[in-house]
Amino acid sequence: MRADRIEKSQWKRAVSVLLSAALSLGVLAGCQSGNASAGQSENITGASADSVVIAMDPNSEPEAGFDPAYGWGAGEHVHEPLIQSTLTVTNTDLTIGYDLATDYSVSEDGLTWTVTIRDDVSFTDGEPLTAEDVAFTYNTVKEASSVNDFTMLDSAEAADDTTVVFHMTRPFSIWPYTMAIVGIVPEHAYDSASYGSNPIGSGRYILKQWDRGQQVILEANPDYYGEAPEMQQVTILFMEEDAAFLAAQAGQVDVAYTSATYSDQTVEGYSLASYASVDNRGFNLPAVSYGADSEGRTVGNDFTSDVLVRRAINIGIDRQEMIDNVLNGYGSPAYSVCDGLPWYNEASRAEYDPEGAADLLDEAGWVMGEDGIREKDGVKAELNLLYSTGDSVRQALTADFASQMEELGISCSIEGVGWDTAYDRALSEPLLWGWGAHTPMELYNIYHTIQGTDSAEYSPYSNPTVDDYMDQALASSDLEDSYELWKLAQWDGTTGVTQDGDIPWVWLVNIDHLYWVRDGLQIAEQKIHPHGHGWSLVNNVDQWNWTERNDDH
Amino acid sequence: MKHDRKEKNRRKSTILFLAAAVLILAAVTAAGIILEGTATETDFSRTNLAPGTGGLFGTDWMGRDMFARTLAGLSLSIRIGILTAAVSAVIALLAGTAAATLGRRADAVISWCIDLVMGIPHILLVMLISIACGRGFAGVVAGVALSHWPSLARVIRGEVIQLRQAPYILVAEKLGVSKFQNVRRHMIPHLLPQFLTGLILLFPHAILHEASVTFLGFGLSSEQPAIGVILSESMQYLTTGRWWLALFPGLALVLAVILFAVLGERLRQLMDPSSVHE
Repeated sequence: MRADRIEKSQWKRAVSVLLSAALSLGVLAGCQSGNASAGQSENITGASADSVVIAMDPNSEPEAGFDPAYGWGAGEHVHEPLIQSTLTVTNTDLTIGYDLATDYSVSEDGLTWTVTIRDDVSFTDGEPLTAEDVAFTYNTVKEASSVNDFTMLDSAEAADDTTVVFHMTRPFSIWPYTMAIVGIVPEHAYDSASYGSNPIGSGRYILKQWDRGQQVILEANPDYYGEAPEMQQVTILFMEEDAAFLAAQAGQVDVAYTSATYSDQTVEGYSLASYASVDNRGFNLPAVSYGADSEGRTVGNDFTSDVLVRRAINIGIDRQEMIDNVLNGYGSPAYSVCDGLPWYNEASRAEYDPEGAADLLDEAGWVMGEDGIREKDGVKAELNLLYSTGDSVRQALTADFASQMEELGISCSIEGVGWDTAYDRALSEPLLWGWGAHTPMELYNIYHTIQGTDSAEYSPYSNPTVDDYMDQALASSDLEDSYELWKLAQWDGTTGVTQDGDIPWVWLVNIDHLYWVRDGLQIAEQKIHPHGHGWSLVNNVDQWNWTERNDDH
Repeated sequence: MKHDRKEKNRRKSTILFLAAAVLILAAVTAAGIILEGTATETDFSRTNLAPGTGGLFGTDWMGRDMFARTLAGLSLSIRIGILTAAVSAVIALLAGTAAATLGRRADAVISWCIDLVMGIPHILLVMLISIACGRGFAGVVAGVALSHWPSLARVIRGEVIQLRQAPYILVAEKLGVSKFQNVRRHMIPHLLPQFLTGLILLFPHAILHEASVTFLGFGLSSEQPAIGVILSESMQYLTTGRWWLALFPGLALVLAVILFAVLGERLRQLMDPSSVHE
């Protein structure tokens, strides 16, 4: 009897442990795929020759909706707002073109911008778009935007129906790049609480439907003032990478974002499209010695504060090896935060030279020890490399960088950190960052000393000459001329932020943006993609077309 | 010679099993500690290899050896399990005895705490505490240790209340045995089997919860070779057919958990007076 009972209870126990293990795994798996299954079904709304279904990363879904004041288009990841019109646009070579604007000019002192706009544009509710709306938009965005910096704008006013005047707080020569991402909203129909989910614009598309967490359906604006969109309906599904891959395999989407992880796969009826980007990854190398700042944060790093060490690291990186290993070949070497853009200085380029790197470290006094790790005055050459946890590509890049540094005699450990602590920790330890935007302002954000302090924002560094060039560039009255000044800020022949200069950041790779594209779909020529693997692709979705539709819907 | 069909003594076989189980777990723990360096070593010339060409358990997308990672992960889990189970059991012992001996008010407070902690889903509580303690090793240990004590505390409280009314304790009191002597000589020997069994049965829960909370990204950091990290990383490779990334570490985790569960059960049989002579 008793033996029986024990036998049973033992079994029960074992089975229950097994079941609970299975259950917890099941629950965990459920968390991952929840998003995916939500989007996949039912969305295949009558595929026709003028519609397209695109799978995008769930992070691309604008949390606050399609309101430019809360980051739509003009947020951390910049792109064309599609639903709204902008004053200017960036051309494929990233020079400035016109959308609503017909002309713009700036005063001698750089403090007043005057923009004339078209008079034949209406919002989709029938009301005409006037300079009043433009002024209202910019004043609202300046007031509300928490994701983008509008402190250079003092106020905007409408001089007449077609002329807008921007009063600046400081000269800002690259203002046209800002004008290219701010979508114009209607003053008469704007309510900050509801506009995000119910936007009215004058752009190429109208928001037809938005199921949060699942999909966005855009429909062509029949009254669009420009060339009529070829794609009448654009459906965006938000799904995780593995779900996007499966959706492509099942033929449920026309375009699916993907990454190097999947690039060795093949999907029948699809080809892998790869678009060059300035979506770079690079480490900051704190350029001051270890200490604490006024807020009590740890700042600086005794190893990377030596410029020779930073130079050695920069030429000690085999970027091509990283691209082949980590990115399966889908990337390009990065030498600056703005490779290939009009304001990129060719002098940033650095060739891989391990012997040169070793010589520099020897020169700096870091001598190879017996254990293969360099030492100076009894201190070991050590780096703790940080990456944002959960990003497998960044983790692999960091691990590869670490093993390359070990070859130079620098001992590395790697650590995944969350963004809640990463910014502070990066002040004293190298962190793997991702940058890349269609504006030279990024150079300013990274390298320019913050006013009133002695350091740049993300990593301790300061060079008055570099600051000066960038201030001049912003004060320049001519955009083309300012490109030259941005280049000089990177390297002017004697100082700068390149290999021969201070090199406070090392850049590793630009990550190509990869997509599965259904055969027959012609994706229009892409601008070099900025950071953020999302909406950039559909900047010109209105010009896409099908040469043939070969799916059986 | 007469007894060549020697009847197996249950007690002996149980002890043998116990020794074997402890040995296996100890070996895994030690191997994991030794292999920790290998487990994080990347080799980009050997990425995504299936078991066979890529070692016993294959390699992952950074060319790390999955066998070393599985062992290191299991070892980390077991160490965290032992640490958290021990802390939990001590909390349970203190809380349980305090509730039973320090009077009604203390009992009410502690019982309320027990109900409170038991009322919140385990995984949620572990996540919350882990985040509050800054994630990482400290966060996970705090989270698991502070959430697993109530059921054992409840058992101990019940036992002590029952014991205090037991005739032999009452007799001892009447004979003038000091309170301390009474607890040491009469109560602890009675409580020990329950306590030890409870302690060991906490391991599987602790290990599973450590793995779950790490899997969800609220526990150990992603550069550490933990089972939860390995399993969550493997998720994005399952659709491309890299089954070995999840299968072996998952199986190893389940086996370790079962081993602990059976171990606790056998130990109870050995020590429980009602079944000790079988």
